[in-house]
Amino acid sequence: MAVARSTAAGTQFLDPAVLGRIANLELLARTVVDGFLTGLHRSPYLGFSMDFAEHRPYMPGDDIRRIDWRLFARTDRHYIKLFEADTNANFSVLLDLSASMSYGSHSLAKIDYARYLAACLIYFSNKQRDRVGLVTFDHEIVDYVPPSMKHLDTILHRLDQAKAGRPGTLAGPLLKITEMLGRKGILVVISDFYEEPDTVLSAIAPLRARGHDVIVFHVMDPFELDFPFEEASGFEDLETGEQIPVIPGKLRGDYTSLMKTHLDTLQKRFTENQIDYTLLNTGEPLDMALFQYLLARERMSKAR
Amino acid sequence: MSLAFLVPLFLAGIAGIIVPIVVHLTRRQRKNVVHFPSLMFLQKIPYQEQRRRRIQHWFLLSLRALALVLVAAAFARPFFERSTIGALGSGGPREVVVLVDRSYSMEIGDKMERARQEAERIFRGLGPLDRASLVAFSQGADVAARSTSDLSRLQGAVDTLSVSSAATRFGPALKVAQTILEESNLPTGEVYLLTDFQRNGWTGDEGVRLPAGSRVISVPLGSTDPVDNVMVTDVSLPRQIVSNRERVTPTARIVRRGGDEPLEVTVTLELDGQEIQSRTETLAPNSAAAVTFQPFTLSRPHTRGTVRVPEDDLSTDNTHHFVLSPGNALPVLIVEAARAPSDVSLYLRGALSISDDGRFEVRTRRSGTIRPVDLEGVGAVFLNNVLIDGGSAERLRAFVENGGGVFVALGQGAGWPASAADLLPGTIGQMEDRLQGRGGRLGFLDYEHPIFEVFAGPRSGDFTGARFYRAWRMEPADSAAILARYDDGSVALAELRHGRGRVLAWTSSLDAFWNDLALQPVFLPYVHRLAEYLGGRAEAVPWFVTGQVVDLADPDALETAGLVSSEAAGLAEGLDQVAVLPTGGTVSMPAGDGPRYLPLDEHGFYTVRRPGTDPDRPFVMAVNADLEESDLATIDPEELVLQIEASAATTDGTPGLGDAVELRREDQERRQSVWRWLLIVALALFITETAISNWLSRRRAGATGGAAG
Repeated sequence: MAVARSTAAGTQFLDPAVLGRIANLELLARTVVDGFLTGLHRSPYLGFSMDFAEHRPYMPGDDIRRIDWRLFARTDRHYIKLFEADTNANFSVLLDLSASMSYGSHSLAKIDYARYLAACLIYFSNKQRDRVGLVTFDHEIVDYVPPSMKHLDTILHRLDQAKAGRPGTLAGPLLKITEMLGRKGILVVISDFYEEPDTVLSAIAPLRARGHDVIVFHVMDPFELDFPFEEASGFEDLETGEQIPVIPGKLRGDYTSLMKTHLDTLQKRFTENQIDYTLLNTGEPLDMALFQYLLARERMSKAR
Repeated sequence: MSLAFLVPLFLAGIAGIIVPIVVHLTRRQRKNVVHFPSLMFLQKIPYQEQRRRRIQHWFLLSLRALALVLVAAAFARPFFERSTIGALGSGGPREVVVLVDRSYSMEIGDKMERARQEAERIFRGLGPLDRASLVAFSQGADVAARSTSDLSRLQGAVDTLSVSSAATRFGPALKVAQTILEESNLPTGEVYLLTDFQRNGWTGDEGVRLPAGSRVISVPLGSTDPVDNVMVTDVSLPRQIVSNRERVTPTARIVRRGGDEPLEVTVTLELDGQEIQSRTETLAPNSAAAVTFQPFTLSRPHTRGTVRVPEDDLSTDNTHHFVLSPGNALPVLIVEAARAPSDVSLYLRGALSISDDGRFEVRTRRSGTIRPVDLEGVGAVFLNNVLIDGGSAERLRAFVENGGGVFVALGQGAGWPASAADLLPGTIGQMEDRLQGRGGRLGFLDYEHPIFEVFAGPRSGDFTGARFYRAWRMEPADSAAILARYDDGSVALAELRHGRGRVLAWTSSLDAFWNDLALQPVFLPYVHRLAEYLGGRAEAVPWFVTGQVVDLADPDALETAGLVSSEAAGLAEGLDQVAVLPTGGTVSMPAGDGPRYLPLDEHGFYTVRRPGTDPDRPFVMAVNADLEESDLATIDPEELVLQIEASAATTDGTPGLGDAVELRREDQERRQSVWRWLLIVALALFITETAISNWLSRRRAGATGGAAG
């Protein structure tokens, strides 16, 4: 199970708690992405490949890591590489707005974390000149912004307004999305996946079968993962309203075991269906999510 | 008729049962609610606690709650309260006192069993508002149950009735009945007298005065069958010193009352529990006999003896117990003048020397000077016609103040130092002769004084035969006691106490010159009594009679009881004691400053020892029954009832019967005893609930196992 970890220097400001203070989602996205990318540039690990577009002469101030030394060997002159993003790719975020996403044990609820992630990914993709789109859903499609180069602001605005509160399912909305999205593209599904793995796969696999590149971000709160509750309480389901009395101390072992089994099963099933799966802990910084996204983009680009 | 509770506070327990159920039912949500994204995984965990707690078996809950409610109600002691009862019939509620005779004559035949049955019959006939008391009496009266309507308590008291070793006395029992009736607020009083109506139990001057309107009902329990009773009435125990050993020759007096034919009776003598001799005597009807046993050597202290005849209808008087200890001689010092004739104390010494048990050890000092060594170990000093010096007088003063006794016989040569004049009971005047007629006589003797009390009875000793020709005139001191006077009123014998001892002054001589008392038969016992009184010795009694009380903290009482040594018996001050009764019970007597009374109510031997010890020769007291009870002559029951009722208080003319009396709440509750039924029903509910619950659990377990399979 992939666990988000902060590894790159200069990414401290991606602490979700800090991000929560940035009220403007666009600003947040820009801050995160640009900062992430800047950090990446400073890191010795470049590791991300982008399609080479053209050369231009080196000018003082350019990043010397971009100098094409093969061309220098041939020409004895310094030229830097200019990369190009995947241009014209359709990039859509499918964001789960079911009531369970409203849970948060600390300052940042899952839905907020998911919104920030979605905003960052869309901003990043838009910067890569992808056509970006957004679909929000719970038990039905809530909002749909078709992919376009010009929809960034609209998408960020819709993300800003997105609220989680109604019961949700994956099958119905994702089936519709599968029918709605005609052109192949990159689909990022952000959800907490509180359904049986078979149900989840049966909802998402058709997207892959249609030819989309699917990246799944499984957003979980630390308390959902560790179940650190102590006091005997009534536990109420945020989606169904059902309540049961729970003595946490007696159940913790079984709960975490079931959770692990669920996560492992999802990992395995998604992998089997060539779907990138990443588990995200809302207590951890966002950069890991972006890191995983970029890795996934690279794998996709190599596969073509 | 309304439901009431004797202890309503216990009803608060019902709230304690209901409250948690109500809270559980009304509380839909826990105060602590965690809004969790999904119960998907929690619901998969197979624990019942995860299921919402709902009451599934209302019937079981109802059974449990009802059972607990019944228990709480039972503790609250419910009863159906009746309103004030109106005036009843002519009798009204009764205060009933049942007096049951438990003297030892009640052991004849089935008298005591019939007494119990009669008492039970009387109690069964009590009305709902009546109250009854049970009083068992013999010489005293014991209230076994007082003024109650609780039949079970009265029955329990009847079950404790048993025959005692004491004689019959109606007075104390009737006085207890009088007290109970006087304190009662019920209008009618009844006294049931269950006894064999022995004449000896009633003297007529008991001073009983029952409240006005009281009735006395006699329940004669005497037997019409003739009684043939043989009893041991007395045992004489004369002692002799033979070859320096003390030997006792017991003689028992056997009496037979009743019978038709001569009866052969075997009389046995036991010492320390072992039969050592037996004699057979033939007794004619209504006759008596004296049975003398062979002498036995008395060598050990507190020897227990019993004279026994075979058991008959009245067995209590078939045994007579006694306790004997070897005697100790009392050292007596006779002081004579150095130049007095050698026979000056002939009669005195002779009288002291003559005794069956060597009770006196006589020493003689022929000098007017008494040395300290002369007084060592001496109990009594006889100054026989001697002039002593001042120093000797002071030594005698110290001797007397420490408990010794001095007898001063004032003869021709007697004298007393002026420095010690206060020691004598009076001032010695002139000698006086009584030569007219045949001399003077003793005209007055204080028979209440210990010296003379043994002579009080007829044919116990005659002093009037003695002639006195010369005597000293004595002017008695204010604090002196005059024990004897001559017929002219002058003092013959006077006593003055000093400290713990005493001084007796005899104004004549102890020889045959000034008087001839020494020649009279009474002289010997008189001298013996003088010596014993001066020496402070009390004669031990071989036995006590039931009803007597001994103070084990009183040294004189212990000496009378024959105690040989306080230290040996553990009766030294500050030590706890325990008395073992003839029937085996014990009475604890912890050490203390006050008296330690031991009532002697049982016939047999009382042993006194320290707790936890088993001495070889413990201090023992023998107690015999009062043989007055063996006289079975009866008084007419109706005559006794008339005498009792005649002395009852008279009424003031105001009719007091028929007033309404409200049965006490406690009495009503006790009669109904609703609490028993509540507990029985509660128990049945608990059993039913347990059975149903177990059946449901088994069924649920079976269903779960089937599903899992």
